[in-house]
Amino acid sequence: MPSCCTLTTVDRRIFLQVAAAAPLLASPADEPTYRVVTAYKPAAQPGMPGPYPGQVVRVHSENSIDAGSGKVNRELVKQMLSSGMKTLTGDARQEDAWARFISPKDVVGIKVNCSGAPQIRSSPEVVAGIAENLIAVGVPAKQIYVYERFENQMQSVGYGKYLPAGVNIFAAETTRSSILNYDPKTYVETSFFGEDDTRSNVVRLVSETFTKIVNVPNLKEHQASGVTGCLKNIAYGNFSNVARSHNSEKTHTKSFIGVLAAVEPVRSRVVLHIMDGLRGVWHAGPFSDLPQFRFYPKQMMFGTDPVAMDHKLIELIEEKRKAEGAITIFDRSMSHVGKDNTNPNTNHYIREPGHVEYASTLGLGVFDAAKIKLKVIEL
Amino acid sequence: MLLLLAALPALFWDGAADTAPALRDAGIHQILVPAARLASWKNVPEITAEAADIEGAVKLLPPTVNYRMNVASATSAPWLVANGWRFIRRPQGRFYYDVTGKQAALAAAEAFCYGANAMIRTDAAGLKPLAEMLGFLRTITGEPLPPVADIGYIDDGSAASGEVMNLLVRDNLLFQLVASPDRRLKLNVKLGTREYPLEDARNPGTVAHAVRFNLTDEKRSVRIYGSPVVVARLTASDGHARLYLLNYAGASRKVDGIRVRVLGHYSKHQLWLADGAGVELLDYSAEPDATEFTLPELKTYAVVDLSR
Repeated sequence: MPSCCTLTTVDRRIFLQVAAAAPLLASPADEPTYRVVTAYKPAAQPGMPGPYPGQVVRVHSENSIDAGSGKVNRELVKQMLSSGMKTLTGDARQEDAWARFISPKDVVGIKVNCSGAPQIRSSPEVVAGIAENLIAVGVPAKQIYVYERFENQMQSVGYGKYLPAGVNIFAAETTRSSILNYDPKTYVETSFFGEDDTRSNVVRLVSETFTKIVNVPNLKEHQASGVTGCLKNIAYGNFSNVARSHNSEKTHTKSFIGVLAAVEPVRSRVVLHIMDGLRGVWHAGPFSDLPQFRFYPKQMMFGTDPVAMDHKLIELIEEKRKAEGAITIFDRSMSHVGKDNTNPNTNHYIREPGHVEYASTLGLGVFDAAKIKLKVIEL
Repeated sequence: MLLLLAALPALFWDGAADTAPALRDAGIHQILVPAARLASWKNVPEITAEAADIEGAVKLLPPTVNYRMNVASATSAPWLVANGWRFIRRPQGRFYYDVTGKQAALAAAEAFCYGANAMIRTDAAGLKPLAEMLGFLRTITGEPLPPVADIGYIDDGSAASGEVMNLLVRDNLLFQLVASPDRRLKLNVKLGTREYPLEDARNPGTVAHAVRFNLTDEKRSVRIYGSPVVVARLTASDGHARLYLLNYAGASRKVDGIRVRVLGHYSKHQLWLADGAGVELLDYSAEPDATEFTLPELKTYAVVDLSR
């Protein structure tokens, strides 16, 4: 356990006894203390880091998206999905590759990312391709859910036009901050800045309905966490009341992201990550209101290890920022903190890209660059 | 009649008797009027009037929420305009609200929640919401129970002390006034002590934070999750508790669900919810030390009875 935080996992049955022992309310300068409340036990082999720790497959296709129009080549995306899955698993047939993770009895959540929608989001062509593969291995369409937290963001994408008939589209918050679609008995409790609501609850579908989750993040810089890839999409995208971790220039994303991602049953049920990097954002993320910070890596990454994949994401964002003459996302100077998003050397927060390495200490994956194996496929 | 008017907040109406149709249409049948107008209201059908004087009453702020979107702040928590601390400071006081529209309903609920002697002056748009709220309040049965307090607060009567009390109420830190520290309570608070220096009271939020830190969340009798605009009041006695829940944004928007935690094991419950027919508590859980449930919506006001 890193020195920055304290983590306590509490079985629901004993939570109330333990609760009296350790005050959670932190002084502003303190590092957070987390109390994880869940009745779910880990799977025999948790989904993260899964069967391919430290392995990342990158599939690049120059014609996968037209940078001028933003139009995605759906046929090439299908080929990228097929190539990525076969390379990750070593299978000759894509059906066999998918069948390693998903069975016809599964109820599958496809966790998209719409925080920058409509400009940048999990591309509906990619999401539809994933759903088609799930159906191809025998999962009925009605057992597939494309989901996100905020309905207004999701609606701006229009997934329904792309998805196979019968696939469900679900948003946890039809009105902002509504708690009704979250599991009241599975949560992480902490106080970052003295906020009164100290709980972040998991999406109820995740804990009560899904048996497997496919994570489909984007390839983006993030003003608070440095990057937003696999880990952040799983963490902040599956729990309520998480924006409270940012205040002024300070953000507690370094530890909070990993702690959330490691909560059961999330950790066990997220079995696959497919990072949609057709588009990307290298500054002022997770949004993409400023087109000058949008770019087109024209790639997708595949893996079961979110830490290894996000390590590669950090490298990619850093490389792009360096090429653009922007400061590193690891910069911690207060002189670069400010509200002017149009300046790539100014940021709202002191970023915490260290959240990726922190997550490795919770057993979520491999961070050591020397131990990460990257396979690159060019289509 | 007098008993009813004393138990419920009442409309203070200084309109002439020819406004009676508007009152009847709204469902208002009992009013308080200036003494000078009492005679003219004496024989108005379906309206019972009594004389009252707001001059000697304490004027309250219209209960509401200011979201302060454009104000730089250490916290994004909305600013609740609440009067609970005034009722606690002056339990025998006479109060009145001057409110418009749907705020009249919230004002009535707030006064009822604290058992306050309050009059409500409102405009034509406020008559129907007020009548509906008063009608709802009449349906809530049962004897009043003593308030639950985690904190003993020694009030020096100053404005600074009042503002600290205001923050404690808004933050659902349940307190009662004490003349001196009461060891039966979980925490005692007095401004001007080492723990709570007077200079800290310049920012009452600092004091409230310190009180919460010293009490600890685990010892709080009530916790509200899911909304920063709901204020709770808890009364209890002999295995029976009554929880009052006020949505301070209720004049403009409902709360889509709150999770409530009450210390104590209560296996049974009964809900009264204003304008919420058919709504029931969800995910009810009675653990040995605490009871939790979800109230799926809260437009303005709810009362939850809990019992063993």
